[in-house]
Amino acid sequence: MSGTVGLVLVSHSPDLAAGLRDLLRQVAGDAVAVTVAGGDDDGGLGTSYELIRDAIAEAGSGEGVVVLPDLGSSVLTAKALLEQHPDPKVRLVDAPFVEGAVAAAVIAATGADLDAVVDAAEEAWHARKL
Amino acid sequence: MPESSETTVVLPAHLHARPAGQVVVTAAKFTSAVEIVYGAKTANARGVLALLALGATAGETVTVRATGPDAPQAAEAVATALRTTA
Repeated sequence: MSGTVGLVLVSHSPDLAAGLRDLLRQVAGDAVAVTVAGGDDDGGLGTSYELIRDAIAEAGSGEGVVVLPDLGSSVLTAKALLEQHPDPKVRLVDAPFVEGAVAAAVIAATGADLDAVVDAAEEAWHARKL
Repeated sequence: MPESSETTVVLPAHLHARPAGQVVVTAAKFTSAVEIVYGAKTANARGVLALLALGATAGETVTVRATGPDAPQAAEAVATALRTTA
């Protein structure tokens, strides 16, 4: 498959981001580029502008990148970065972190375009577990 | 005229995250719309979260329903994914 939409997981916790990436690999396979920006610059709990910027660059394939933040400063930092460096192919998406990432990764694995991957992540708000 | 095709599968394993992901990826290779029916619930095969929410467990029977020009092939491919993905 030539080029799928990439995903960037932004979390306060490096472990949380890395664990979610492991889950996405298992559910969606290796075809989708999933990069992580977890923790602060020193590897502690927090958020790093530079790590997010690098993760977006790493995930980019030309098909587009979906950025999924967990909460709080992850959202604010990612938002600030994308406001300073706007790119129509990089989209910050408001979605539940785990469910949105799973839905987005699986749809991205089918070769879906950026709009479809964004929609899949946002639709995760409506997915009931029980 | 859209063709419709159905096949049933006895799940060898719970319809958990990995098989649900395989169903989505497999169904996307066809132009037909594919649904998985379990009891009174129906999930579109494009939505991994909806498939998980079916709560279908090992040993239960689900129906794969495809509608579209390549319905028989789509139904069979998705059924095969369900039978073979643990």
